Amino acid sequence: MAYISLTAVHKTYPNGYCALKNINLDIQAGQFIAVLGPSGAGKSTLLRAMNALDPATQGEITIDGVTLNKKNYRKIRAHVGMVFQQFNLVDRLNVMTNVLVGRLAEHSWLSSLFYLFPKTDYQIAEAALREVDLLDKAWSRADKLSGGQQQRVGIARALAQQPKLILADEPIASLDPKSSEEVLKLLRKICSEKGITVIVNLHQVEYAKQFADRIIALNAGSLVFDGSPEQLTKAKQAEIYGTTYEETSHDAELVLAYT
Amino acid sequence: MMLSWYWPTPNGKPPLIAVLSVLVPLAVLLLTASTVDMSYNKIFYAIPRMLDFTKNLWVMPDWHYVPQLAKKMLETVEMTLLATALAILLSMPLGVLAAKNASPHPIIFRITRDLLSFIRALPELVWALVFVSALGLGPLPGIMALSLVTVGFMGKFIAESIEVVDAKAIEGLESTGCTKFQSILYAMLPQAVPDFIGSLLYILDHNLRAASILGLVGAGGIGYDMVMSMRLFNYERIGMIALSIYALVTLLDRLSDVFRQKALGGILNVH
Repeated sequence: MAYISLTAVHKTYPNGYCALKNINLDIQAGQFIAVLGPSGAGKSTLLRAMNALDPATQGEITIDGVTLNKKNYRKIRAHVGMVFQQFNLVDRLNVMTNVLVGRLAEHSWLSSLFYLFPKTDYQIAEAALREVDLLDKAWSRADKLSGGQQQRVGIARALAQQPKLILADEPIASLDPKSSEEVLKLLRKICSEKGITVIVNLHQVEYAKQFADRIIALNAGSLVFDGSPEQLTKAKQAEIYGTTYEETSHDAELVLAYT
Repeated sequence: MMLSWYWPTPNGKPPLIAVLSVLVPLAVLLLTASTVDMSYNKIFYAIPRMLDFTKNLWVMPDWHYVPQLAKKMLETVEMTLLATALAILLSMPLGVLAAKNASPHPIIFRITRDLLSFIRALPELVWALVFVSALGLGPLPGIMALSLVTVGFMGKFIAESIEVVDAKAIEGLESTGCTKFQSILYAMLPQAVPDFIGSLLYILDHNLRAASILGLVGAGGIGYDMVMSMRLFNYERIGMIALSIYALVTLLDRLSDVFRQKALGGILNVH
C-alpha cells in the first residue's frame, strides 16, 4: 500500500476560489518528489492539505494508513515535518530552541510553560543540527543567521520531529543559488540516507530533474503531469506552464540566469 | 511677483481635506471654549499671581523634613514597583485571552476585552477611593487601585502586541503538531517581548506619577504630604517634594532609555 494516498481531493477557499480539483495521488515511502507548476497552480495548497494547515474541503488524505480528519491532524503533524519558503522560525529565540520546538508535540503543557526539555530532546536536537551542519550556531539568535542557514534550521526543526515525511513548500524561493543547491542536496541526502519521504514544491524545472525520483505537476488546481524526470520533456514542460515550446526554453534560460 | 512655492499636489494648492481637517476643529474649539470658562482676560490677570506663587518657593528648604520626605518617596517607589509587578502577573493571562489570535474562543475574547475596558474606565483616584473605604487609609488600597488600573492598560497592551506578531512563526510551530497553548508560549510571546518592554517602561513612568498623587485620597505615598503642604502654604516643603518627584521621574526615564536600547538591540535575548 502506498505511504500517502490522496483520493478525490478538492480544496475550495471560503472566497469560492477552487485551488485543487479532484486530485488522486499515491506516493511510495522513501521517495523524493518534486511538485512543479506555475504560481497559483495549487502546489502550496496541496502540501498544506497533507498536514491540514489548509484542510481539504472534499476527498480523503491517508498518511501511513491513517486518514486525516479534524481530530487527529495534530497527531499526524507531529511526525510530518514542514519546511517553509520564509523559514517560519521564531526570530527572537535561539537556534537550539527553534529546533527543540520540533519536540513540543510530545510534551505536556506544564513542562512547556517553563521552557524545560529533557536531555533526550537535546540529543535529538543536537543530532539534527549536526545533520544540517549548524551545531556551532546552536546558541545564536535565529534572526542573526543568513537565509540559507535559517532554512537549514528549519530543516533541523523538521528532523527533530523524527518525521517519516517532510513537506517542503518552495524551500529555496528566498535563497541565493549557492544556498539553494545546498538546501536541496541536504533534503536529497535526508531522503536517501534516512528513508524519509520528501515532497518539495519547486519553480525550477532543472532542479526538479536533477534531484527528484518522481515529478508531479499541477496547473490551475489539476494534476497535469506525473512521471519520472526523464519523462518530463520540453514539450511536456510547455504543457505544464501553458506556454509554447520556444517560450519554455527561453524561460528555462531566464530561470537559470536568476538562480 | 508670484511666489514659486507649491504644495506637492497636481494643482499646487493644499488638498481640501487637509485644509478642512485643520480649520473645522479649530473653529469648533474657538466657538465652544466659553463653555469651560475659557477667559483670556482671566489668564492674563492671573500671571502676576502665578509669579507671586513661584516667588514664594524661593525659601530655605525645611531640612528637618528630609527624613520624612525620603521615607515617603521610598514608599511611593515601592507602591509603584509592587503594583506594576502584581499587574504584570495578572495581565499576562488576561492579555493572552484578549488577543484575537491567541484567545481560545471569540466569546472569551469579547468578555476579556470588555472587562479590561471597564477597569480602565475609572481613573486610579476613583478606584483608590473605593479601596480606601473598604480597607482604610494607607498604601495598601493605593497599591490595589494602581495595580487594578494597570491590569486594564497592560492587558490591552499585551493583547495588542500579541495580535501584531509575525504569523509565519506561529504557522511554523503549528506545523509541528503542537497545541495552541504551546504556540502562544513559543511563537507569540517571545515575539511580543520588544513591544511589551516598550509598554512596560511607559506604564512604570505613568504609575510613578500616579502613585505620587494617590495620597490625595489617603492611599499612601508622597501625595498626602504634597496636598497638606499646599493647603498649609508650607512652601519650604512644596519645592522639595516637587523637585524630588521630578528627579525620580527623570531618573526612571533615563534608566528606561538605556534598558530599552539594550532590549531592542538584541543584546538582551529572550533566554
